[in-house]
Amino acid sequence: MSKRYRYVFMLLTSVILSAGVLVYAVRHSTGGGLLLPDDSNLDQCNSIDRPPKIHPDYCGTVIPPNIAPLNFLVEESGSQYCVRIRSKKSRTIQIVSRSPKITIPQSQWHELLNANRGEQVNVDVFVETANPPATAVQWNRFSAITNQIAKEDIDGFLVYRRIHPGHGTWRKMGIYQRDLHRFDESLILDNDYFKGGCLNCHAFCNHRTNKISIDIRSARYGTSALLVQDGAAEKVDTKLGFFSWHPSGRLIACSIFKPRLLIHTARNYVQDILELDSLLAYYIVDAKTLKTSPQISKKDRLETYPAWSADGRYLYFCSAPLTWPAGNIIPNNFDEIKYDLVRVSYDIDRDEWGSQESVLSAKDTGRSILLPRISPDGRWLLFCMSDYGAWVVHHPDSDLYMLDLEAAQQTGEYEYRRLKINSDKSESWHSWSSNSRWIAFSSKRGSGVFTRTYIAYVDRDGKVSKPIRLPQKDPTYYDSCLWTYSVPELVTEPVRLTKEKLGRVVRGSRKIPIQMPVTMATPKPGERPDYQEPWQTERE
Amino acid sequence: MPHSRPKSSRRIAVSQSGKPETAERHPSRGLEGLLRDVLFFIFFYFYLWLCVDLRLIYGPTEAITNFPVFYKGWAFFRTFLSYPGGLIEYAAAFLSQLFYIGWAGALVVTIQAWLLSACVGCILRTINLSRFCWLRFLPPILLLVAYTQYTYHFSMVLASLVALLFVYLYLRTTLPPTPKHRRLVAFLVLSVILYTIAAGTYGLFAVVCVTYELLFGRRWLLGISYLLWAAAIPYVEGVAIFGVSIFNAFSHLSPFSWQIVSFEKRGSFIVLVYILYAFLPLTILATALLRKFQNPKIQNRITSLLLKRMKFTINSPALRWIIESLVLFAIASTVVILSYDSKKKTLFLTDYYASHRMWPLLLKVCKRHPNDYFVVHAANRALYHTGRLSYDMFSWPQHPNTLFLSTRDYRTSYWRKSFVYLDIGLLNIAENGLTESLEGMGERPEILKRLALIHMAKADYDSARIFLGALSKTMFHDDWANEYLERLKSDPDLSQDKQIQHLRSVCMKKDYDLTDLNIETMLLHLLEKNRENRMAFEYLMSWYLLTGRLEKFVQNLDRLDDFGLSAFPRLYEEAMLVYVYSSRRPVNLHGRQVSAESRQRFNGFNQLLNDYGKDSQAALPALAKRYWNTYFFYYVYERQGRRQ
Repeated sequence: MSKRYRYVFMLLTSVILSAGVLVYAVRHSTGGGLLLPDDSNLDQCNSIDRPPKIHPDYCGTVIPPNIAPLNFLVEESGSQYCVRIRSKKSRTIQIVSRSPKITIPQSQWHELLNANRGEQVNVDVFVETANPPATAVQWNRFSAITNQIAKEDIDGFLVYRRIHPGHGTWRKMGIYQRDLHRFDESLILDNDYFKGGCLNCHAFCNHRTNKISIDIRSARYGTSALLVQDGAAEKVDTKLGFFSWHPSGRLIACSIFKPRLLIHTARNYVQDILELDSLLAYYIVDAKTLKTSPQISKKDRLETYPAWSADGRYLYFCSAPLTWPAGNIIPNNFDEIKYDLVRVSYDIDRDEWGSQESVLSAKDTGRSILLPRISPDGRWLLFCMSDYGAWVVHHPDSDLYMLDLEAAQQTGEYEYRRLKINSDKSESWHSWSSNSRWIAFSSKRGSGVFTRTYIAYVDRDGKVSKPIRLPQKDPTYYDSCLWTYSVPELVTEPVRLTKEKLGRVVRGSRKIPIQMPVTMATPKPGERPDYQEPWQTERE
Repeated sequence: MPHSRPKSSRRIAVSQSGKPETAERHPSRGLEGLLRDVLFFIFFYFYLWLCVDLRLIYGPTEAITNFPVFYKGWAFFRTFLSYPGGLIEYAAAFLSQLFYIGWAGALVVTIQAWLLSACVGCILRTINLSRFCWLRFLPPILLLVAYTQYTYHFSMVLASLVALLFVYLYLRTTLPPTPKHRRLVAFLVLSVILYTIAAGTYGLFAVVCVTYELLFGRRWLLGISYLLWAAAIPYVEGVAIFGVSIFNAFSHLSPFSWQIVSFEKRGSFIVLVYILYAFLPLTILATALLRKFQNPKIQNRITSLLLKRMKFTINSPALRWIIESLVLFAIASTVVILSYDSKKKTLFLTDYYASHRMWPLLLKVCKRHPNDYFVVHAANRALYHTGRLSYDMFSWPQHPNTLFLSTRDYRTSYWRKSFVYLDIGLLNIAENGLTESLEGMGERPEILKRLALIHMAKADYDSARIFLGALSKTMFHDDWANEYLERLKSDPDLSQDKQIQHLRSVCMKKDYDLTDLNIETMLLHLLEKNRENRMAFEYLMSWYLLTGRLEKFVQNLDRLDDFGLSAFPRLYEEAMLVYVYSSRRPVNLHGRQVSAESRQRFNGFNQLLNDYGKDSQAALPALAKRYWNTYFFYYVYERQGRRQ
């Protein structure tokens, strides 16, 4: 290269770099060069006697002290925006932006939340009018947005499944973990690691990641359950369905079912799933065996959604009568199937099941009772109710309900209440934080067919605060996001096993052979069930 | 700062003795060569633009499931930085969008082909294989075949172009007498960069470098060390640093990727990409082996004799240029003609016109290959939209399964079937099909557009806004999306939107599980919701005609009043005549008349059949000649599958 060309090249590079820096600076400007409403002229601001419209709705709620910044979009027209976030015991955070997208500096945000646990946090929004008179800049100040900072942390990580809202076709899906303190999302395992397929139900033992189970369906590597224990992963040669780890970590209760996809021709939701047959079983980790008992797998009942009590002495699950003959035919009265909530005591040392007790009956509630999840402190039982069936994520009428187990123990009566946080869309797939103060759940509110994750605070009396959607760095992220985020599970630590290690186990030929225990109308004892539609087929 | 080299050393390769040798000048490098290249690529461009028409590949079509999605904005770009090969994928995704505009797409592919050709030429010259420079036309010809077959391998070809560019860079930076350690450094630096941007295609670069070093340079240790590095770099960079799966680390963006070979449609004509990948290393290998095993003296003698002979035969450079060019064009044209598949093109055109609602063109193209269920299905839809279904339906070979593509072969043709469901008012079934298509074909704008429409029609504005939000980030459908987003603000119920209002007026209201529903019930429910759902009516009548259920057909003739039709369509008249003739029962004409022409046709048909003693097989040729597009003919022959 001649000297002349070298200089030209250097000059061009400098120009391009400078232009890039300039563009970046302008786009991410937080005040430099802007006319700010400083303290002296704040009094001159127009006061508007209403809070500003912001998106997402982060108003009047309780927020975790360790949550990532709740960036938002000011939905008020203006040419400049100033936001001041203040609380009792720390410096005010001020953000000035030409864009209505407000990005809160992470370190200042965490400093503020941490210093003000249990206090209120106020957000003042100032908007410079879009067409100010030529002579003066006019700022409008809206009423402050007030939120409460909880005293208790939420678990640091949220694990969820990210998938498109299809059913019979898979392209890309994975299980991801989100660091709730920041915006970092990392992959635990996706279907690239086993050349396509489906991976779904995931469960953790005691909100920790040393014991994990993940269901895998792969045309190439078979249907299996991936079990992770203390840094080692192994593959169990069957699908275990919905899992629940016993608090001791010694066994996993699981439901084995035969799902069937339904397409509704005229409801406001299209896809629905019916369990044509199901039973509960339990996998004993050390013995590497799958067993069941007549108490949890009756021939004339459909059993699903197992959940252990906090002390591990009871297994709660849902049970509905099986009123149609075995086979693949969808019964005509599929929308009359309603599940009861029952429990069975279990002695882990003797491997003995007690008799079944009714907790809530669908006859009494008039609705199908599903997805029981018990708080780690053993006091609250959170569940869903829907008009029929078991797959509530599809049903817009599915709502969250709470039941006080402690009160029930004293009075002998199970009294439940519908939570105020419900919307007119489906609420489902809820999980507790390890300190029983937070819940994460899936909801389709505001996003139609796309499931999003919400988190909400539960106080000591079981009152649940207004939920907030899992925050993203870009507050408009969800407005064009075609992913659904489902089955959110709160865990206290990240999954450390690498995805390649997990993938290698899925791909590997080593697996724990499983003899199916008993009873299901199909398959016969000793055989594995056939998993047909909707997930067994794969196509381009 | 590198020392400047003498110009003569720029085309130097190492001879067997290890001494540098000056490259021969090949005649194709001059102006005449350039002219040939220009002519060739002009032909290439116009062929792609006017004959292949890359808009058909943009589709969307179910035949191509790996066409990339592209969204504007930094957030979308950032996702491509998280794995090796992302940059090439991003560039390919962007450039592929230009297929939407036929001429622009053709230009992109032509430039790609020209760069490939130029790159191959430069590499061959650099390693002193100028005599094989004609091989540089192989990649463009392979591309022509690939596009003639309507396959999409753009990102892999782009990746291979970058890999070849890096090969050239390697050769240029390691011109003799570059010491081994500098060669190794050059290889490693280029490897790391190339792997980051082109992932598994890095293998092509590594193979060429290894072959070159082993067979041309005879640097055995270096060559073997390259092999080890070539295995280590994808693992270290891909698996350990980027954290991608081991499959993807070694094969992503290459034609050996599981994402290609595991899927029939994506792997269509993948052999062309294999040839594209293999021909350069094989050329180098073959040349080196020839050099090694042949006596140079004999070889030189043969070459000189051949050259003398050539000079004797073609001693005029102009004539030689013309002949060489003609040979090139003849090969290219032959390959293109041989690989041309008119049925495939018809199917792609049908897909394209059907999804863009270009009815007259669709009807025209459907006539080319009417013996395909999908073609007839599309023709029926076009006939309905042009008001000709009840007149010209039997101008195509019909079958009851063509109306809704209800055969097993089309069980998962969610995209193709969704058109008719959406038009007729089966919004949920269309939504389900489109949701599956979204997963199977990717987030294609046309799919997002239809999903947005369905959700707006169902007043599910939350979902619609998300689909519109995604669509507003696309390159060519953003205006449509933004317009609807604005309209949702000014008219939240979309009460002024005619298309939405139409969809609402026709959509099915009675809920069933789809598996319990047959076509007749479905259409009757649509008419129950809205008697004026004309498409449901015409499809119902067509269904009765196709299945030969003329009793039901005549029972529903009163519905013609709902559409203010004063006369019967031709096919309905013919069906009525068949019904009256076969059942000996009268038909309530609801104040209308059967035309004299139809009666005449019916009598003529019967007469001809009687002339053959009612032997329908014997009468077939004569009847087919005159009555091939009548319901009489369908009723007698095709309904019972009797036509040979």
